[in-house]
Amino acid sequence: MSVETRQMATESALADLLEGPPVLVGSPEDRKLSEDIFRPVWEQTRRGWLALFGITLGLTGLLFSAIAYTFAKGIGAWGNNIPVAWAYDIINFVWWIGIGHAGTLISAILLLFQQKWRTSINRMAEAMTLFAVIQALLFPMIHLGRPWFFFWLFPYPSTLGVWPNFKSPLLWDVFAVSTYFTVSLLFWYVGLLPDLAALRDASKSKAARVAYGIFALGWRGSARAWRHYRIAYLLLAGLATPLVLSVHTIVSFDFAVSQLPGWHTTIFPPYFVAGAIFSGFAMVLTLMIPARKVFRFEHVITQRHLDNMAKVMLATGLMVSYGYLVETFIAWYSGNPFESFVFFNTRARGPYAPIYWLMITCNVVVPQVLWWRKARDNTIFLWFVSILVNVGMWTERFVIIVTSLHRDFLPSSWAMYRPTIVDWSILVGTIGFFGFLFLLFLRFVPAVAASEVKELRRELEHERHQQSHDQAAHGS
Amino acid sequence: MATSWVLAEYGDEAALCAAARRLRALGHKRLDAYSPVPLHDVDAALGLRRSPVPLIALVGGVSGAAAGYLMQWWMNAVDFPINVANRGFHSPPTNIPITFETGILVASLSIVIGLIVLAGLPRPHHPVFEVEGFRTASMDALWLSAEVKREDEEAVAREMEKSGALQVSRVPEGSR
Repeated sequence: MSVETRQMATESALADLLEGPPVLVGSPEDRKLSEDIFRPVWEQTRRGWLALFGITLGLTGLLFSAIAYTFAKGIGAWGNNIPVAWAYDIINFVWWIGIGHAGTLISAILLLFQQKWRTSINRMAEAMTLFAVIQALLFPMIHLGRPWFFFWLFPYPSTLGVWPNFKSPLLWDVFAVSTYFTVSLLFWYVGLLPDLAALRDASKSKAARVAYGIFALGWRGSARAWRHYRIAYLLLAGLATPLVLSVHTIVSFDFAVSQLPGWHTTIFPPYFVAGAIFSGFAMVLTLMIPARKVFRFEHVITQRHLDNMAKVMLATGLMVSYGYLVETFIAWYSGNPFESFVFFNTRARGPYAPIYWLMITCNVVVPQVLWWRKARDNTIFLWFVSILVNVGMWTERFVIIVTSLHRDFLPSSWAMYRPTIVDWSILVGTIGFFGFLFLLFLRFVPAVAASEVKELRRELEHERHQQSHDQAAHGS
Repeated sequence: MATSWVLAEYGDEAALCAAARRLRALGHKRLDAYSPVPLHDVDAALGLRRSPVPLIALVGGVSGAAAGYLMQWWMNAVDFPINVANRGFHSPPTNIPITFETGILVASLSIVIGLIVLAGLPRPHHPVFEVEGFRTASMDALWLSAEVKREDEEAVAREMEKSGALQVSRVPEGSR
């Protein structure tokens, strides 16, 4: 063996070590891949699916009954008061919209960076985004007080003769969230077109062929269409990338632009975006770990995907921890007594201190276990970590909103906030509604983008071919 | 003029591209290729030009942003001035977020509408769907189609067979 070949061998061994498990196990033929990925759509409804569907349907019923009750009784049905005028409504809104962000990150930002490990998880992550944003959109609506006038938020020529106040971050939010929902839906649907066409062509019953045929819009996979499709998909990714960063930035402006101690900080936009991605990746893992197991997708959603997602969660978790550190430091360094009071008294030692410390445990301490490969490799362990992060990020929004509000500037205005049964029903109900939509998605739409995995396989084969070619050239 | 569609399946991209080039050289310009994933060399073989989608996106994005800004200026500074903490009625910094969002929104909508129109969708019925074997085009097979005059049908089909097609089918327009 010459020195050169030995060096080559060590290099490739090192590359293997650095790369870890593959993004696609083996090199399955197109037909096999389609069969594997479409199997959950064609197979008989499973008992487990039906049971979960029943539960989530019940919770969706609970959600809409609680909303109906709120509409009938008014916001007084909730625990909100003065000074805690924002509570579960806005906590849940920010939590759900943050969860959505990981989907766009995976599908758009990782596409632009040409990360191969995005390909088999993007469809599920995008679906999660859509359904999370639907939950998020409910909350600003129902907390309006008179929700039947929700259209007053939009600039339309009315007999009132007034226009909305565009200097308000709350109105920026209306535009940001509705744009985010629309663009996410378009991006998801455009990505789905080739798979819907494949489902239409593979369907055995006429009903399925007609149904998928309608949604596939008559997609034929023609070169004339692919030419526009490729660039359209890339451009949508390019637009979704700054959009997703803008959405949580604008959500954070709802707080940061106000004068309230604990909210009025410049670190809010980046810290909110990092927190959103952190919680979103946790939710992707929460959903994907069981789905991959049940549908036997282990060869397309490999250990590598889970490992990378865990690493992103660790990195964004560290950014969030940095956010906590800096806002506390600035509160002390500014010398503002009201700011210091919020951070050193109200949050850490006040009546809601257990929730604050739960937040620190879940968001700062727990993710540190992900430094260890063993922790990332153990899917069950990773699943529990993702649940804790979801809980942690919910408590973060609780801490930001409720602790900052409940102790007003004057102690005579202080008040405690306690959620009512209606508050809890709405929170639990949205989790159910989210699960309901996600289960429908898993049943009727391929959860992995088959056309993109086929493309990935070609790319990987090409690479392998190139490598062996290079090695042969070196060897001679 | 009575037209006819001739469809052929090929085993690999190189054979399909060679056949497409040959047919183009013979003067048949109304060709199209079908594949489950986008192919790289086929655009050149079919003589396709660059997609105008980026231009559509640019026009959509710029007009969306401009409309968004003008809307805020006209509504809050001209038609119904709102005094917010004594800031100027026309306050450019506060207009940035919505200008950005409307720009992205209109750009995305124009991309998708542009894609649908340029790709000739929605069209659930198409002559190529008349061929039972064409179902594989979305799964794992590569197909080439030529839209030709009825009298050229025979010659084109023979040409496709000669260039290594796995199977050739013909669909006369309006035959159903």
